[in-house]
Amino acid sequence: MPNAILDPTGSVTSKAATAAAPRARRPASLNGARVGLLINTKQNARPFLEEVGRLLAEKYDVTLTERTKVNFAVPEPDEVIKELVAGNDVVITGVGDCGSCSAAAAADGVVLEAAGVPVAAIITESFIPTADAMAALRGAPGYQYATTAHPVAVLTEDKVKERAAQVLDNVVALLTEPAAGE
Amino acid sequence: MTESAPDPDEAQRAIEYCYDQGWSDGLPLVPVSKPLLDRFLATTDKEPDEIIGSLEQVGRDVDVRTAAINAAMAGCKPEYFPVVLAAFDALMRERAARGGGFQSTSGPAPLIVVNGPIRKELGFNTAGGAFGPGFRPNMTIPRAIGLIVRNAFGIHPHVLEQATQGVPGRWSICVAENEEESPWEPFAADGGVTGGVSAVSVTLTRTMEFVDNRHTPNPEDVLRDLQDTIGRIGSLIFPQTSVALVLCPEHAQMFAAAGLSKADVQNWLIERSGRTGHEFRLMGKESVATKTFHGPFEGDDAFHSILSGPKQIPVIVAGAKNAAISMVVRIFGEWSGTAVPVMEKK
Repeated sequence: MPNAILDPTGSVTSKAATAAAPRARRPASLNGARVGLLINTKQNARPFLEEVGRLLAEKYDVTLTERTKVNFAVPEPDEVIKELVAGNDVVITGVGDCGSCSAAAAADGVVLEAAGVPVAAIITESFIPTADAMAALRGAPGYQYATTAHPVAVLTEDKVKERAAQVLDNVVALLTEPAAGE
Repeated sequence: MTESAPDPDEAQRAIEYCYDQGWSDGLPLVPVSKPLLDRFLATTDKEPDEIIGSLEQVGRDVDVRTAAINAAMAGCKPEYFPVVLAAFDALMRERAARGGGFQSTSGPAPLIVVNGPIRKELGFNTAGGAFGPGFRPNMTIPRAIGLIVRNAFGIHPHVLEQATQGVPGRWSICVAENEEESPWEPFAADGGVTGGVSAVSVTLTRTMEFVDNRHTPNPEDVLRDLQDTIGRIGSLIFPQTSVALVLCPEHAQMFAAAGLSKADVQNWLIERSGRTGHEFRLMGKESVATKTFHGPFEGDDAFHSILSGPKQIPVIVAGAKNAAISMVVRIFGEWSGTAVPVMEKK
C-alpha cells in the first residue's frame, strides 16, 4: 500500500465558515427609519454614502447617523457591530472598491444581517467575485449587495452624486424586499 | 538501472495529482507523504497541532503540521523548517499581513531577511544575486510562505486575492544578509535579536527600484541619489511611507569609511526624503501631502517628508562587493520592527 499524498489545506476552524447566517427581516418601508452609514474611508466613499443618505432622507424622512470603519480592510469588531445593531434599523456600507475592503463590506453585511439589521453593501463591479467568496465563507452564499461601476475613487463630485442616485433604487430594494422564497 | 532509482512516471502522476487538487502556485509541487512530513516535524519542538497564525476575516488558522506540508511541497528540505516557522511568525507580526494584505490589489510580496550562522549551515546565498534565483533555501522558503497563504488561508488569485498586477517574484524574495562584508551590526539586531543568534525578519513589500551609483567618491552624493529615488511620488498613497534600503557592500562600506553609522544614514534620508506640495499637486495627489491621513493639503511650498523614523527605513546589507548597486524596496504598510529567532529542536 503506497503512502497517501497529504492535503496542505488544513482545516477550516472558524465561526466564519460554520452555520448558515440568516438574512434579517425587512421593514415594509424605510419611512422614518434610522439609517446608519458605515463609511469605509476609501476615496469618495463618504460623499457617495452621504448622497445616498441625503436622497433617502428626502424621500423617506429617515434619520441618518454616520460611522467610519475602524479598518477598511477587515470586518468591524464585535463591539462596533453591537452599537450599529442598537442604533440603526438598517445600515448602508461601502464603497468596496479594493480587494480587502470589498470582502470586508460583504462580511460586515452578513454579520449585521445575522444580528437582525438589513444591510445594503455597495461594491464596485470589479470585486463581485471576492465579495461573493467572502459571503460564502461567512455562511451566506448568494448574499445580495448593490453594485456600481468601477472606479469610484477618481470620480468628480457631480459624478459621485449621479452614481449615488443610480444605485438608490437597488439600495431601497435590498433594504425592504424579502429575498426570493422568503 | 538500479533497484532504488525513482520511477519518473509515478512522480509525474503525483505532481499532476497535486495540480488537480488546486494546491499549486503554478509550478510543480513536491508530493508530500507521511514519512516526509514526519522528517519536517522532527526539526521542531512545537506540537503538530499548535496554531502558528490566524487570518480572522477568512476564519482560517495555520497549525505546524499544515505549515510543514506546505514547506515540503514548496521544495524545502526538512532542516529548513525552523526558518519557515520563524519567517511565518515574523510575517504574522505585520499588521498589514493580519489585515487585508494578502487580499489587496497591491499583491504585496514578503521580503524575508535571514541573519546568523543558519545562513551558512543551510547553504543560503549570502553574496551575489541576493534577490535570487539559484539557491534552494532562498527560493523554497518564501515559496513555502506563499503556499501556506494559498492553501491554509485559502487566498486564491481572482477570488479572495485581488492583485491588480502583483509584484514580480511575489513568493521568492529571501535575502540572507551579507554580514561578512557589512560594516555594521546584523539586521536582526535592529529587530531586537542580538548576539549573532540566527533570526528571520519579514515585511511586506510592493516593488523595488535600484540605485546604480558607481560614479562618485563622495558618500553624500550617493545619499542624495538614494534620497531622490526614495522620494519618488508614484508609489505613494498615504502621507507616510516606509522603504527598506538594501545596500550593496560597496555603498555600505563607503558610508562606514566616512564615519557614518547605520543610524546616520537613516537619519540623513529621513530628514530629506520627500517632495514639495507643488510636486504632489502636479500629480493630483494633494491628499497624500498632508500631515495626517485625510488631513488638509499642506500647500504648494511645504516640503512633505515621507519617512517618520528609523523603523520606516530598515537598512540591510546584501549582494556582492562587485558594483555599487543598491535597492530601494517599497514597504507595504509598516515593518513590525521585530526579528524572530530560529528555534531548532533542542
